[in-house]
Amino acid sequence: MSSTEYASAVAAVKAMESSLLTHSDMEQLINARTVSELKAIAGSKNAEASTLEDVWEMIRSYAPDSRELTILLYKNDFHDLKAGLKAMFSGRDADEYYIYPSNIESGILKKLLSSKEFDSLPAYMAETAAQAYDLLTRTMDGQLSDSLIDSSALAAIQRDSDSFGGAFMQKYAQLTTVCADIKTAYRCALMGKPRQFMEIAVCGSRELDKESLIRAAMGGVESLMAFLESTSYKDAAAILKESPAQFEKWCDDVIMEHAESARMQAFGVEPLAAYYIAKEAELKNLRIITVCQECGADRETVMERMRKLYV
Amino acid sequence: MNSLGLALAIVGAACAALFAGIGSAKGVGLVGEAAAGVVSVDPNKFSKVLILQLLPGTQGLYGLLTAILLLSRIGVIGGNAAALTVSQGIMFLAASLPIAIVGLFSGIAQGRAAAAGVGIVAKKPEHSSKGVIMAAMVETYAILALLISILLIYNISI
Repeated sequence: MSSTEYASAVAAVKAMESSLLTHSDMEQLINARTVSELKAIAGSKNAEASTLEDVWEMIRSYAPDSRELTILLYKNDFHDLKAGLKAMFSGRDADEYYIYPSNIESGILKKLLSSKEFDSLPAYMAETAAQAYDLLTRTMDGQLSDSLIDSSALAAIQRDSDSFGGAFMQKYAQLTTVCADIKTAYRCALMGKPRQFMEIAVCGSRELDKESLIRAAMGGVESLMAFLESTSYKDAAAILKESPAQFEKWCDDVIMEHAESARMQAFGVEPLAAYYIAKEAELKNLRIITVCQECGADRETVMERMRKLYV
Repeated sequence: MNSLGLALAIVGAACAALFAGIGSAKGVGLVGEAAAGVVSVDPNKFSKVLILQLLPGTQGLYGLLTAILLLSRIGVIGGNAAALTVSQGIMFLAASLPIAIVGLFSGIAQGRAAAAGVGIVAKKPEHSSKGVIMAAMVETYAILALLISILLIYNISI
């Protein structure tokens, strides 16, 4: 599809970008003395006027072809799969655990899982659903099943961005996978998880080879850091060594920096994807400020956790 | 043979109107799409995006002007068509090509530039004039082509 096909959608998104919260808006929110003051400021800036689901619906309605954009929702889809399977095994209702927006309507997902019609799920998750169900049936190990689903989500993001995504989405997939793999390997190294577990939990990518990452994590945290320092992610290693919370922030920030590369584009699907990522980060920042305010955290703590903004 | 010369000149007039018109239609259409996207979010920006949408429309007018001048020059409009030789017909056809070809491509290119300018209106409406200026730069080449086409049309001896 020609990039100019997205002219209308990109123009609409650019108009919507002007309503994203700026640095000074965030400053005002951080400086709020009470939760009610924070809510009043957020309300005055229409900060919570639209949910991520509204944003997604809006982007989808403007985009002439939203197939590539659906990759952005894979992580939500796979999260919902985890919630659905666990609810099935524990006999609970998963409704409150589903994340929106997603590519599969929660009612349909629930129905397909309960009837074990895994083949009727979207192709990118059908096999994973069957494998995770089988794993849970055999082992009742929720953590292992979650790890399988998480690494399959990353594999699906990479595979589909290679198959029908452009360079922007491929880079997004690569960054998402690398960040998640480093976090997984770090946790596995800390907890001394066996190789068998890591082989399921680590996805691997062109940037960070799965086998090398597992081998490094098997040697403990120091060995993992030494490995990361030998790659192009040595900055990440330094931050992770300092603070895992800072590393989480770094992960979100590198994806935001990537999204910023699409900000100047006048045509194409990229500005739409970037806007979705920007809105996601904005809502995350609002949650961070709210939680910190509720916990009585100081300004410095809030600032440390604030994610990079798009505007 | 005389009618072939006249036919070639008329093909030239048709080319000027046709290709420049296609360029403008594509350009105006593209900016219109972008403009509609902005107006759907913020209807107050209609007047600003309208200026940008009009810009790629000029190539079509230049093509029309060239066609009318050419048809007038060869007497078709006055109802007294000149008896042109084949070489004269080819000359008139060639005279129409600058605006026909440059009109086609500059119309599309100006449409892209103006559609990108719509993004400026969307995000920073106070800088919308910069978007207009950038898109208007493309116009220069359409005007140069129009000038050459007119000079050629009026300097071909009949």
